[in-house]
Amino acid sequence: MMIELVVKHNGRDWIVGNEEWTLSAPTLEELDEKVETLVKEKGLVKKGETKKIFMAFDNSIIPQWIRQYAQHYFNRIIEIKA
Amino acid sequence: MAGNERLNKKWYSGMFSQEDWWAVWMGLFFFVLGLLSLTGVDLVGWAVYPTKWVVNPVANIAKVPKKGKKPHYGAIGRPGKAFYALGKKYGTKAKKNKEGKVISKGSKSFYKGLGWWSIIWTYIILSIITFAGAVAMKWDRKRFFVGWTLIFFMTIAVWFIGHHAFFAASTKPVKALIDGKIQAMKQYELYGLPFSLSLGGGASFILALIVGLVIGNFFKKFAKYLGEAAKPEWFIKTAIVYLGVKVGYLAIKGTLIGEKLGKKLGAELGEQMKDLTMDLFLAGAVATIVAYLVFWPVVYTVARKMFKLPRKTAAVLGSGISICGVSAAVATGGAVRAKPVVTIMVSALVVVWAVIELMVLPAFFTHVYPTTKDPLVAGAAMGMSVKTDGADAAAGELMDEFMRIKIETDTGGKVKWPAGVITTSTVMTKVWIDMFIGLWAFVLALVWVYRIEKRQGETVPLSEVWFRFPKFVLGYFICWFVYLGIFFVAGGGTPGPEGIETFKLAKVGAIPVEKGLRKLFFMLTFMSLGIITDFKKLAEAKFGRMVWVYFVSLFVFIIPIALLIAYLFHHGMQIPNIAR
Repeated sequence: MMIELVVKHNGRDWIVGNEEWTLSAPTLEELDEKVETLVKEKGLVKKGETKKIFMAFDNSIIPQWIRQYAQHYFNRIIEIKA
Repeated sequence: MAGNERLNKKWYSGMFSQEDWWAVWMGLFFFVLGLLSLTGVDLVGWAVYPTKWVVNPVANIAKVPKKGKKPHYGAIGRPGKAFYALGKKYGTKAKKNKEGKVISKGSKSFYKGLGWWSIIWTYIILSIITFAGAVAMKWDRKRFFVGWTLIFFMTIAVWFIGHHAFFAASTKPVKALIDGKIQAMKQYELYGLPFSLSLGGGASFILALIVGLVIGNFFKKFAKYLGEAAKPEWFIKTAIVYLGVKVGYLAIKGTLIGEKLGKKLGAELGEQMKDLTMDLFLAGAVATIVAYLVFWPVVYTVARKMFKLPRKTAAVLGSGISICGVSAAVATGGAVRAKPVVTIMVSALVVVWAVIELMVLPAFFTHVYPTTKDPLVAGAAMGMSVKTDGADAAAGELMDEFMRIKIETDTGGKVKWPAGVITTSTVMTKVWIDMFIGLWAFVLALVWVYRIEKRQGETVPLSEVWFRFPKFVLGYFICWFVYLGIFFVAGGGTPGPEGIETFKLAKVGAIPVEKGLRKLFFMLTFMSLGIITDFKKLAEAKFGRMVWVYFVSLFVFIIPIALLIAYLFHHGMQIPNIAR
């Protein structure tokens, strides 16, 4: 089963999270590392298992005037191996 | 946006909360209403349409009446008739029984009485649908309703002014009755004018854009308030769905026109129209693929090597300039995981440059190159050059008007092109470009994630292609293929009497949509484009080198190469001549 998170950008950092926790980092690489650390600490991925993390972009970040041209930024999937 | 509507996770995400989908709903709603004409019911004849007018019509001039009818002197250009419901002209006729008694009045007699009231009917009906969309998309309801009302009536006012015969009447030769004698004259002379600007419907578009730009650049608070309702992309995408009706209906139209001139000519014209639309469909696809493969690498290289922009900025700018403006810039920004601020800046630049192109290219392509010698080359080149759907379709429609007037004037009325074919060549190229954006962004994302930035463990979901797919294109093709289907099912180019009857019923529901609503939504687009365009943005220092990358790439490379590619794939395509 995939873990679903929401990702966005605040002008300085990438931010990812759900109702329970939030992480931020200036680059996606650093963000992915933080996500991997947290997922392993919380025991959400068992030993030998590969977990998929689905990150849906929060499109409300796209300014209203742009949304008439494009209403999707990106979704991404990362895999974490225990 | 609220809750999960801001996330695209399922294939149906955004179906009732995104503008792209609402262009489909608004487009298909009136398309379906129009289709009901096949059952004899006319539910779209209320669509308002303007005619040319003058303050004081000439008292001793009349149109040459049909056999057995009396001439109406002083009626040409009466202001009281400046607006009418299209059902008056294209509605269903009265039905009579064998004894000649009227058993059904038909919609023509009903809509005939609307006149200027058709404006109110159109406003009320469109307000219901647009307001439903605004509520579903969670816009500010009050601001939208007030803004929509203001924009609608300003547009109608401009449509009226733009149809004054001084702007709209042409120099094409016509015949009229003057004091009982049939005489040849130029069209503007019918209205008692010594000359005219000969802009046709283009005058209204230009005026709408000018009024919008004045508001957008000199009354910025007002423009900001109207911004909730000034949605050029929504309006043009809806208009493009109606254009699908037009394109599908062209084959039927050709057969009906030709049928009046003779059965054989009817078959020929119908087949020509059908073949032309399919040719445009295919040529547009091939031209698009070439454009992607040629434009993007060059613009990316110019941005990187000549102007030293960072990789991600160059990629986003490259897509914005070379492919399709804002939507491509956003798609690319997402694909390469650029910070949103880069995408936003490129988007602002694209929107302003697109309006500049709209102001310059239609007249250039009509009068300098390729002119009326190769109108579909011009249309396709426009589709590859102008970088937002709104400005592109608007530019195509403006050029359509310019070229049709020019060919009629230059040939003394011997050549007349059906309205909308040149617009279709522009839009068709843009539609293919739009459809490929999702695929392009997907490929770019794969390259970026697996080759350039090599992020271990990241995959690109295939659903990205669907989320970026322009949904309004579905509406366009549905309308097109349904009317084309009616053409084939009813007998193609050689329909029998029943087939002709079906075609006539189809016409009742098609024309108010593809002519009335399409033109109105184009007008709303021009007005809204102007309102949201602030030229001062180009002067802002932050854009810096990006402005020059845009200028150099567009005018030195993209437009000339677009003309070349359009020439390779569209040269020699003929628009059927419907002059009688």
